[in-house]
Amino acid sequence: MGALLQSWAGQVLNGLVLGNVYALMAAGLALVFGAARLVNFAQGSVYMAGSYAAWFLIARLGWPLWAALPGAAIAGAALGLAIEALAVRPYRRSGGVAPLLATIGAGMMLDGLAEVLFTPTPRSFPNLPFTARYSLGPVSIGGLDLLILCATALCALGLLAFLKLTRAGRGLRAAAQDLEAALQMGVRAESSGAAAFAIASALGALAGALVGLYYNFISPSVGFQAGLKGFTACVLGGLGGIGASMAGGLVLGLGESLGVALFGSSYRGLVSYGLLLAILFLRPEGLFGRRGRGVALSGGREIGLGSFLPLRGAWRPSKPLAAALALAALALPLANPGPYVLQVLAGAWISALFALSLSFVAGGPGIMSLGHAGLMAIGAYASGLLTLKAGWPFVPAFLSAGLIAAVLGAAIAFPALRLKGHYIAIAMLGLGEIVNQVILNWDSLTQGALGLAGIPAPRLLALEITSAGGFYYLSLAVLGAGFAALAAALRSPLGRTLRALREDETAAVSLGIGARSYKTLAFAIGAFFAGLAGALTAHLYTYVSHETFGSSYSILGVTMAILGGLGNLWGALLGALSLSALPELLRFAQGGRGIVYGAILLLALRFRPQGLLGSE
Amino acid sequence: MRNARRVSITILLALLAGGFAQAQGTEPILIGVSGPLTGPNAQYGRAWQKGFDLALEEINAAGGVRGRKLQYVFTDTQNDPRQTVAVAQKYITDPRIVLATGDFSSTSSMAASALYQRAGLVQFGFNNSNPAFTLGGDYCWSNSPSDANEAPAQAAYAQVLGLKNVAVFQLDTDWGKTAGDLTVAALGRDGVRVALREAYLPDEKDFKPSILKAKAAGVDGFVFVAYASDAALLVQQIRGQGIDLPIVANGANATADFPALAGKAAEGVFVAGDFSPDDPRPEVQAFAKKWRERYDEDLDYFAVHAYDSMKLMAAVIELGGPDRKAIRDAFGEVKDVPSIIYGKVSFNPVTRKVDDFLGARLVIRDGQFAVWDGKRP
Repeated sequence: MGALLQSWAGQVLNGLVLGNVYALMAAGLALVFGAARLVNFAQGSVYMAGSYAAWFLIARLGWPLWAALPGAAIAGAALGLAIEALAVRPYRRSGGVAPLLATIGAGMMLDGLAEVLFTPTPRSFPNLPFTARYSLGPVSIGGLDLLILCATALCALGLLAFLKLTRAGRGLRAAAQDLEAALQMGVRAESSGAAAFAIASALGALAGALVGLYYNFISPSVGFQAGLKGFTACVLGGLGGIGASMAGGLVLGLGESLGVALFGSSYRGLVSYGLLLAILFLRPEGLFGRRGRGVALSGGREIGLGSFLPLRGAWRPSKPLAAALALAALALPLANPGPYVLQVLAGAWISALFALSLSFVAGGPGIMSLGHAGLMAIGAYASGLLTLKAGWPFVPAFLSAGLIAAVLGAAIAFPALRLKGHYIAIAMLGLGEIVNQVILNWDSLTQGALGLAGIPAPRLLALEITSAGGFYYLSLAVLGAGFAALAAALRSPLGRTLRALREDETAAVSLGIGARSYKTLAFAIGAFFAGLAGALTAHLYTYVSHETFGSSYSILGVTMAILGGLGNLWGALLGALSLSALPELLRFAQGGRGIVYGAILLLALRFRPQGLLGSE
Repeated sequence: MRNARRVSITILLALLAGGFAQAQGTEPILIGVSGPLTGPNAQYGRAWQKGFDLALEEINAAGGVRGRKLQYVFTDTQNDPRQTVAVAQKYITDPRIVLATGDFSSTSSMAASALYQRAGLVQFGFNNSNPAFTLGGDYCWSNSPSDANEAPAQAAYAQVLGLKNVAVFQLDTDWGKTAGDLTVAALGRDGVRVALREAYLPDEKDFKPSILKAKAAGVDGFVFVAYASDAALLVQQIRGQGIDLPIVANGANATADFPALAGKAAEGVFVAGDFSPDDPRPEVQAFAKKWRERYDEDLDYFAVHAYDSMKLMAAVIELGGPDRKAIRDAFGEVKDVPSIIYGKVSFNPVTRKVDDFLGARLVIRDGQFAVWDGKRP
């Protein structure tokens, strides 16, 4: 009994320590959200940078710990100011999700930069301080546990004092409560935005430094997950409220620690994203947020798709030009460019189908589907399992995969469609993660971490497709069909209804349009084609796993759709082609890929926010 | 513009040099490497490069292969099956490439196996320990120490150390799952009870809940099926909890990264390695000395294996000649090639794998890998 109590006390302590770190991340995100109504996706990368700053100061420059931690926080604040000036403020005018997407781009660049500067090999601190352990009743507590608990408590107190006692702090709180009223009362939006970024980034960098010390492990790839955990904590507590977000961090830390203790380590993601979705669907204002004040259900103004990105100048090729382009694509293999080029292009056609689906969902029902790759994963596993385990032929398995993705996609998106603005983007991100976590943990069906290997090549009647030319034509054909179907859907009465909903949902609903069912239908149509793209991937590459279609693939798809122009199907084609060819061209720039992708996203948003071909 | 001009001049020079070399019949023999240089597995691709480079310096200083220089081209795939397939198409259609090698994980390699097999270019999966890898066809060969050999060796080490009731921590990837299954089965055969088996994801950082669970289950030791960066986190968190029980790690941790990352916590960890840097064989001693001079660091399992594999590929091409089909045949014929890891290595022409396995029982002392002195903890 003593051992059991000791074990559970240890789990609670571990959860509290973890929760304190999440709370720091969440406080930073909540500050920025309050001051600028912006979900800052670069926060995870600042966290990563903070851990490197502490490592550099301690391991390379020999600073003592008490100086290195504030040093890392100051470096973080400077980085935060730079992000605000370079990747947020210039995008304000574009409105809507442009600044959010710009922070994604800034984060990608920071991660890539760290990989180049510090190499991908993880680092550790030479002589770790605070290794002593103390016994407090049933709990054995380490020096680093105490350091984290104290440092976060100090930060929380400092933050509270700043918000309550200083003029700038009061301005931030006022902006968080009602941005427009605060502006009218003379709160300067720009300087309070910059202050919020600086403080938030200092907190994020400090969290990164503390965790780096705690695990004695520093690597360039830890940022994305840390950022996601921060959002989860924020939403769990109540987006916008700083205290509520920090409390959300503690709940998340405790939930994870106890969940892992009960179910095992591979369930960590399922526990945290499951909590996120449960809160979003059941109590979107958060555990500690006040009902009614929540931006969740009334936030149409906040990011309506009408103000999504500028909708102008959609370019569409004339009929003869479109026919010529299609002919050129058909004739290309005749020019004998070699199997390598054909293979890369076949991959590009599949990405294009994925980007089309994303663009349709964003342009039609106006859903920023940040977890769209989850639908591809569903399609890939459906078709792979139907052919491998149930022995189905390729064609029915392939088509069923699309249907399964459509049905499952609609079923999991339906509750999310009640939400708006940032919430739906975060919910979609969570859904994408959940799909992959379920695939990983549903061992008996999906073979878990082993993935599905040896998926048979596509076969049309007696013709087995194994050559690069065959892959090329098959994916081009599916892409053509998808393009025609989605273009027709946009022109149809359904498309008109969707546009009406997007432009002015209140007016459309008052005309008797059932917003949620139309959006769900449109989402299902998009999901069908994302599922087909996933199934094609599975059969062409013969192998899929829960990692094939992760969040980074979703973000790549979003980048493609935005680069081309949201809602513009031709734009999605162009965006997918350019970004699929890019890694091939960039093979020489090892480690620099993240930097280039991030820069493209930032530049496209800055100079052509409507996309290369314009959005509609 | 100046850049463009410089680039075009470089290309022109390269073309001229290439044409000249061709006329002389001295253009280098090329091996195509497919592996991760960016992304989460980039560190292993970098280790390969070090091993390859040292091997090639020696090979080419000794006159190359069949009188020609041996070289490799390394294409970054991030260990992503989508990219290994594209890279395979590239190598297949490049007539200068006589042999392809890589990728990092067995599943990434296996995604491309069908292409290599159909095109008749050997895919030498030197890092691919999955028993299913060479089933791809008669062009798929591997000299990786097989999980089927390593797992029983690790289990036997745990048993010899006197462990009776262990917790197994296993990476939840295709490799970890395969190797973990084999290790757990071997532990069972050796009469070691597995009280707890925890599969963790590659990006896991917080092992404390699982460690506390193992403690509550009353285990008397830990068995790892992990890579060095995870194992370093694990040992630090286990020791950080004040738990001083024996730890038996798998061969992939016989790399300088492990004690470097884990620091003092790595002291006394037992590693069921594939070879020992203290092995008195002169070739091992000469190699270890050379490695330290060249790179100023201790031996790394992935780099040593890459070095060994490059030497082996050179021997195969020397025997068969720079022709794709002849190389396939030579893999089955090559005999007793000197090797750091195996001593001498030959292929089993039926399984297209290596049956030899030396194995070494190592323990970490003062941050170095030493041969275990036979004392139980």
